[in-house]
Amino acid sequence: MPFIEVAGQQIEVDEDGFIQDPSKWTPEVAAFLAKGEGVDNLTDDHWKVVNYLKDYYEKHGIAPMIRKLCKDTGFTLKQIYELFPTGPAKGACKIAGLPKPTGCV
Amino acid sequence: MGHHGPTPEGFRRIPTWEVAKQPAERPKKPATPKTATKKTLHELGIVEVPDEHKVQAALERLHEQIKQRRSYMLAMESCVKCGLCQENCHTFLGTRDPDDSPVGRADLIRKVWKRYFTVQGRLFGKLVGAEDLTLETIQKWLAYFYHCTECRRCGHVCPFGIDTCEITMLGRQVLYWLGVVPALHADSCAAIHRLGNNMALTKSGAVDTLEFLSDEIEEERGFRVEFPVDKPDSDIVYVPSSADFMLNPDTLKGAALFFEYIGANWTITSRMIEAGNFGYLVDQYRTQRELVTRLLESAKQLGAKKIVWGECGHGWRAAKQYARTMADVNGIWHIPIVHIHDEIASYIVTNQLELDPSRITRPVTLHDPCNYARACGHVENMRIIIRKCVSEFREMYPNGERNFCCGGGSGVLFDDPEMYPMRIRFSQKKAEQIRETGVPDGPDGGILCAPCSICKAQFYPMVEEHELNVEVKGLLDLVGKALVFRGKETSGGKKW
Repeated sequence: MPFIEVAGQQIEVDEDGFIQDPSKWTPEVAAFLAKGEGVDNLTDDHWKVVNYLKDYYEKHGIAPMIRKLCKDTGFTLKQIYELFPTGPAKGACKIAGLPKPTGCV
Repeated sequence: MGHHGPTPEGFRRIPTWEVAKQPAERPKKPATPKTATKKTLHELGIVEVPDEHKVQAALERLHEQIKQRRSYMLAMESCVKCGLCQENCHTFLGTRDPDDSPVGRADLIRKVWKRYFTVQGRLFGKLVGAEDLTLETIQKWLAYFYHCTECRRCGHVCPFGIDTCEITMLGRQVLYWLGVVPALHADSCAAIHRLGNNMALTKSGAVDTLEFLSDEIEEERGFRVEFPVDKPDSDIVYVPSSADFMLNPDTLKGAALFFEYIGANWTITSRMIEAGNFGYLVDQYRTQRELVTRLLESAKQLGAKKIVWGECGHGWRAAKQYARTMADVNGIWHIPIVHIHDEIASYIVTNQLELDPSRITRPVTLHDPCNYARACGHVENMRIIIRKCVSEFREMYPNGERNFCCGGGSGVLFDDPEMYPMRIRFSQKKAEQIRETGVPDGPDGGILCAPCSICKAQFYPMVEEHELNVEVKGLLDLVGKALVFRGKETSGGKKW
């Protein structure tokens, strides 16, 4: 398993760069992962999405339906793609510390 | 069932000159999916066979499997290399790599079979087309058996009736036992054993999503429809398609609206919450069995009289054709398993549904999911439904049993830099077909109806890659939209 190093802490990630233990997530980790997803600077809008995903995952153990994510954060899907060029599932979810989606997605 | 194209030749509509336009060429190294980590394999209870033992282990598994089934033996012995399958395979049409064709892929096993298990192969080796099994060949298996989307178009045209996809499935199974599995498939199978479904859905997440969909229906139509979960004494257990919970809200809503319309006593079960079965795609023993067993057990627990299947292609084949014989339960297999499309079509032909096609005004074309069309006989019923739901339906050609795959079949939904471009090439033929309908050309574009979660997951990015101005939707989406709830709804919602 590969590791990333953020603020002196070694964090295990899978081969696609998703962190393996959600409890290791910190805002610094998010900023580090964001760079790999083409997001150099996490703005308030980015944080709104990231925090929403993180809270949802903590509550339900799964990422939300994309349409619900849009409705609850007030962004259109197009805006989400503008914020996270690699998309909501593989970009935004990764930054928020969620696991890589499986199955037919 | 005939939905023949404008040319009577059907399959031969892809002229051979088109295939010959570009020279067939083998790449130095075929694009290969990333494989699972040790950790995931451990979750699946498998350990990768060390390289020095791989060849021997593979030969033992092959021998044991091929001896067991006459269809494998038929495939090994009967191919005359006529090439008909090649010109009918969307991966070959997209890549021009001879190994990336049905006969090319089957030969990766056939040559080995000849070398070790036939007299002529043992005596004369290469002279009779036999070849040693090496680690390089096993690496090629991984690439090419996961380029095959198991669409079975080749099996449909083979004059000898060889179902070449059965061979690539056999290859995938042997690879699984060797511990060589693409990460995407292994992770999905691990989710099945951990949580009971491919998507790693939780009950709490599903319930939250379903409440959200109830709210949406209320906003759009002015009345509320509930999605019961684990409701005891339900007549119907409904198994929605996997990505309905993530990407395809209108498909799930369509199913609920249909059940509401007919006044069904239905429920979704958290034990078998979605219809996918990645076991069927890589491990037809332990993993596939786990899910079909769950299915029958949960239906029994809830007292269901019928299991109704959602819009999932491979999962439907896995359940319809294998649940009864494969499930690890005795005595409760009398519960009928039907597909929701067949249910809806039966209500339509008996005039029990009021559907308003004027709510869907953009032109619509239909992609026949391979498992429906070539394995489960859905061709007519999908058309009975779609014609009643939309203002303008245009067939793409060829269609029905002669359709081309979306290019993502059997979970070939890899998104890594090596495999993603392959998906674009695999869907090239399909893109041509869609373009030819003219459906994307309207001022507001059109609708591509693709009633299967894998097809949808492939098309969402592929219509962008091929610059097709179409919105991807399911068939249930269209049903839900067109159903008229007299005295109940305040609006049909926005026009599509």
